[in-house]
Amino acid sequence: MSKGRVLVAMSGGVDSSVAASLLVDQGYEVIGATMQVWDYSGCDIEEGNGTCCSSLDVDDARSVADHLGIPFYVLNCETQFKEAVIDPFVQGYLAGRTPLPCVNCNTFLKFDHLVRKMKELECDFLATGHYAQIQTNAKGEPELVTSEDSWKDQTYFLFTLEKELLPKLLFPVGGMNKPEVRRYAEERGLVVARKKDSTGICFVGDQGYGNFIATQVSGATIRGLRGELRRYPTGEIMGRHEGIHHYTYGQSKGLGLDHHEKMFVLKIDADTKTVWIGEEKHLFRSRLEIERAHWLQDIEDGETLNVKIRYQHRGSPGRVIKGAGGEFAIEFIEPQRAITPGQAAVIYRGRALVGGGWIRA
Amino acid sequence: MQEFSKVYLDFNATTPLAERVRKKLTETLSVWGNPSSIHWAGREIKQKLREARQNIALATGAGPLELVFTSGASESNNTVIQGLFAMMKANELPSAYQGRDEFITTEVEHPSVTKTFQLIEAAGAKVHRIKIDRDGVFDLEAFTAALGPRTLLVSTMFANNETGNLLPLAEIVARAKAAGALVHTDAVQALGKARLHLNELGVDYASLSAHKFHALKGTGLLFVKRGSPYRPLIVGGAQERHRRGGTENTLGQIAFGEAVKDLVRLDAEVPRVRELRDHMEARILHEIPQVTRTGAGSCRLNNTSSLVLKGVDGETLLMSLDLKGFAVSTGAACSSGSPEPSPVLLAMGLSRAEAQNSLRVSLGWTTTRAEVDAFVDTLKEVVCHLRNVALAAQGPVALATQGTVALATQGTVALATQGPVALTTQEAVALATQRTVAAETQGGPSSSASAQGVS
Repeated sequence: MSKGRVLVAMSGGVDSSVAASLLVDQGYEVIGATMQVWDYSGCDIEEGNGTCCSSLDVDDARSVADHLGIPFYVLNCETQFKEAVIDPFVQGYLAGRTPLPCVNCNTFLKFDHLVRKMKELECDFLATGHYAQIQTNAKGEPELVTSEDSWKDQTYFLFTLEKELLPKLLFPVGGMNKPEVRRYAEERGLVVARKKDSTGICFVGDQGYGNFIATQVSGATIRGLRGELRRYPTGEIMGRHEGIHHYTYGQSKGLGLDHHEKMFVLKIDADTKTVWIGEEKHLFRSRLEIERAHWLQDIEDGETLNVKIRYQHRGSPGRVIKGAGGEFAIEFIEPQRAITPGQAAVIYRGRALVGGGWIRA
Repeated sequence: MQEFSKVYLDFNATTPLAERVRKKLTETLSVWGNPSSIHWAGREIKQKLREARQNIALATGAGPLELVFTSGASESNNTVIQGLFAMMKANELPSAYQGRDEFITTEVEHPSVTKTFQLIEAAGAKVHRIKIDRDGVFDLEAFTAALGPRTLLVSTMFANNETGNLLPLAEIVARAKAAGALVHTDAVQALGKARLHLNELGVDYASLSAHKFHALKGTGLLFVKRGSPYRPLIVGGAQERHRRGGTENTLGQIAFGEAVKDLVRLDAEVPRVRELRDHMEARILHEIPQVTRTGAGSCRLNNTSSLVLKGVDGETLLMSLDLKGFAVSTGAACSSGSPEPSPVLLAMGLSRAEAQNSLRVSLGWTTTRAEVDAFVDTLKEVVCHLRNVALAAQGPVALATQGTVALATQGTVALATQGPVALTTQEAVALATQRTVAAETQGGPSSSASAQGVS
């Protein structure tokens, strides 16, 4: 007797392949699907260097599905991906932010488009290879909690999940650590067992952000992003730069400066195209403001919670303060380095994800 | 429980191997010589190829030496179009065709024709493309206007793979010949679905594909009427009388030669399949609201049905049906995997939404009435479910005002009367008309249940 029908988002990577395999072993009726999100026909990606959504990865996902004996479909999501992920990504860079496209991909593709497919294909659950867990709390409600492997935890990218969706979601690898996942893949004979983890942003590849942005907008737009490198706080002009989209907060490499002391990007001013640089100590701030906040659990105004300001950040305690018009501010106990507009501030109570929002300033 | 019975209704994409072909192949596997060799090993296989060629010639109304074996219809199409263009450029055309430098084709050809014309167009050829409308009607007037003393080649398919529409080939050939032009037809969809006599048809060239009629993939034919200009695409050895280099695909050709023997049953199978298709369409139009047929206003192959199911994404519909064991298609098999809706349907004037809501069902010689009925039952269920999901996705407002009733009654009737979006008067009339037509078709002489008795 089947435990229900599951649609599994399979990227062709080891995590989602193991997720699909575990579900098969656990007795679910499993359907695999890969979202074709980007036209790779122009790319020439060598075997083994694929990122999370290249077409070679589609082949890997297909091989795994075939090995597991489950139906497998490629869903064409190029239009949605362009509109919901690529365009905001490009606009973010043009506006001096450092965008986080994976969240939009989760919000608008994996946990929206695929949810629709899940219903259409009469599935009971939707599963992905995310390192995240859904556990029932003391009140008997499902909550999103960090994965067993805290180093791999990916809940940071899932703060926009709808609370109502949680009972429908399965994260089969969330209770495992990466070596366990790989070992399982080996034992199960999955072709992707030794595949490299995808790093960076799938659609950018090896060309780098700057070059990618240049392929998406006009030459005039790119030239319009050029400006001055100024030193904070003196305002001294240190040089010119090739476009604000080449910089992110806290960056110290590639500033093109012949200067004895180490300098860091402190702020990107999209209005004047000025990149402010200076000593590292100026990178630390105690307050940030978020917009488009999304909550999975209730919070008390002024409650001190753990806040992550980027994926690699360990999280730091801060007071979450309700502002006017549904906006929130966070006041950290300890100043934080390189609070970066365009990234997300994701808020945890213990291991449970409470909510989050986009860093505006 | 998972459904294990499988029903194949995608015969325009490919067909299962015929039993007689399977047997023939098993015997032939031990015959492995190179047909070009003069020794015993070569002679043995050479004789089998000769038989195959003879069988096909007989079955298609061609002379044995008018047939060139290729790797498939795509190669055949490329050979004719690229070959004539190359001869034209090199001034190698026979005197009757000199000074001719224009090509005429249609907007609904297979990509192996469309893209080859794009290729020669980029190299300077003048190409006219004739429209076929959503009823499947070929614009004969525009064709006649494009035709002239400069027309070198007319290339129109025999029947469209997505809608099944038959082109008025006799008329096209007559007019083209009167203008002194050469004629090619991509006839891959003809075998087993229509009577095909290549010499009576009067074309200079025709492309055929073995796997569309119960033989193996990777084998095609190019008919070249005796005396028509020809230049090989693949040069090499002396095979095919210097017309196509490369050691013969022996098993493929022998399989093809065996499969065509079944064409003696054509006269019985064509009406039987037609009746099944008509029965299926009548049921669909009667039982599922907001469905239209593409190309139904003109002559069609007996086996093909091209449908637009309003508000139902074809890609999702295909998956849902597949999960229940039914193999159908949204368009041509080779276009799946690309996000663009079918260029053929768009060229016929369907909107993008309509093309994305399209479904192609193509029946074959092994299709039974029970399969067709099971398919319609499942299609009805799936379409109802998908429309309900779409309705729910419109959000609480839509649900509150329209959806609750539809959801409560599980769709079909509620959807028909209230709609995922309320029907406009025009649509309601169209729907009513469809039903009347469907009812007539069902009640008519073509829908007798006796079809089951035909083997």
